[in-house]
Amino acid sequence: MSKTKQYTFHSLRERIRSEKKIYLMGLLFVIIASSIGELHFKIGAGVFILFPIFYAIIFGVVSGPQALKFFNNKEVKLASKLVVVGICPFIVKLGITAGANLNTILSAGPALLFHGLGNLLGIFLALPVAMLLGMRRDAVGASSSLNREYQVAIINNIYGADSEEASGSMAIYIVGGMIGTLYFGLMASIFAGTGLFAPKALGMASGVGAGIFMASASASLAEIFPHQAATITAMASASNTVISITGIYITMFLAVPLTDFLYKKLLPLFTPKTAKAGEETK
Amino acid sequence: MRYREWLFLLIVCSVGTAFANWLGYGVSLQKSIPGLTVLILISLLSVVLVKVIPVKIPLVAYCSILGLLFAAPFSPIHTFVINSVNAIQFAAPFTIVGSFAGIAIGDKLKEFVSQGWKYIIVGLLGMTGTFLGSILWDSFMLKITNAI
Repeated sequence: MSKTKQYTFHSLRERIRSEKKIYLMGLLFVIIASSIGELHFKIGAGVFILFPIFYAIIFGVVSGPQALKFFNNKEVKLASKLVVVGICPFIVKLGITAGANLNTILSAGPALLFHGLGNLLGIFLALPVAMLLGMRRDAVGASSSLNREYQVAIINNIYGADSEEASGSMAIYIVGGMIGTLYFGLMASIFAGTGLFAPKALGMASGVGAGIFMASASASLAEIFPHQAATITAMASASNTVISITGIYITMFLAVPLTDFLYKKLLPLFTPKTAKAGEETK
Repeated sequence: MRYREWLFLLIVCSVGTAFANWLGYGVSLQKSIPGLTVLILISLLSVVLVKVIPVKIPLVAYCSILGLLFAAPFSPIHTFVINSVNAIQFAAPFTIVGSFAGIAIGDKLKEFVSQGWKYIIVGLLGMTGTFLGSILWDSFMLKITNAI
């Protein structure tokens, strides 16, 4: 294979000429989104939150070929390569946070260190249903990610930003981010209400998602177990710190390969069914 | 992509991060520069390694591991790396990723609108499974390590 064939553009200058509209609009979206800031809506006891990142995503989608037509299909493809570049500094930043807290994590004890492994149950619940609903490869992205940025980043890097997997992951990121805070508070109360679980374990489980989810879940728990509020909060924030570091490796080396494996195992079960269902509706 | 192209695009993304850090979190552009420089250099080093090392490991794995090594207590420059990157807020580098990712899925808008309800169901199941799995696993781990 000749070396020049591997490059999309003949030179950096050509790349800039083709992509400059994407850079400028991307930056403009960041400026507008960051200026708006977070928006909080109270619903009953919970909060529904919108983050600047969502606005940036939505501005991008809406300016695309299926709505405002500001970007054409060629630019859509080009933007997916830029996602992979943008992910790198973000993941480096997470790695640096991990390195800075290395001693804390190593001394946290085995229960906290291996805490992230329990998350894998989510895949077993979400993947079969996603496939039953007729999702294809996007089910892999949707089921192996909860809502964390690093999960979206890893899936984008493994499968490419223009892949079905990446769009599934991105959809869950948006959905999870919008309703997750509300849902984690609710879920924590329900599981605590069963009386089956120790507050310490509930506190640790509160830390599995984004920081804001943890805040919501541990606040519900603190109301149910007022005497153990301090332990719950401490366990939640420790587990949240640990999992934001171990979670990268769990997602990369366990969750994504496991989801991929299960998808391939389950596919023969769903293929004839979805085909039949399709015929029936016709 | 050539290294030149990587460097240029990393700078474009860093400009986005600097804006998000400033407008979203009130950190001045000047204070962001050392941290952004560290992030760009480690990202570039990861790109070099992924091209040079023949083992097939995702680029993000190099980014994460190199970041960890540079900031770990045994790294001679860990204080500088940690302090400079601390100025960059957690979500700031991800905002520009959101813009580009939004543009990159712009050809799937109709699909998202019609399929959105499915993602809500799958998302809720994923969250429930993750939370429940975590409670069960953590209860087990706390028990065998005698922490409860």
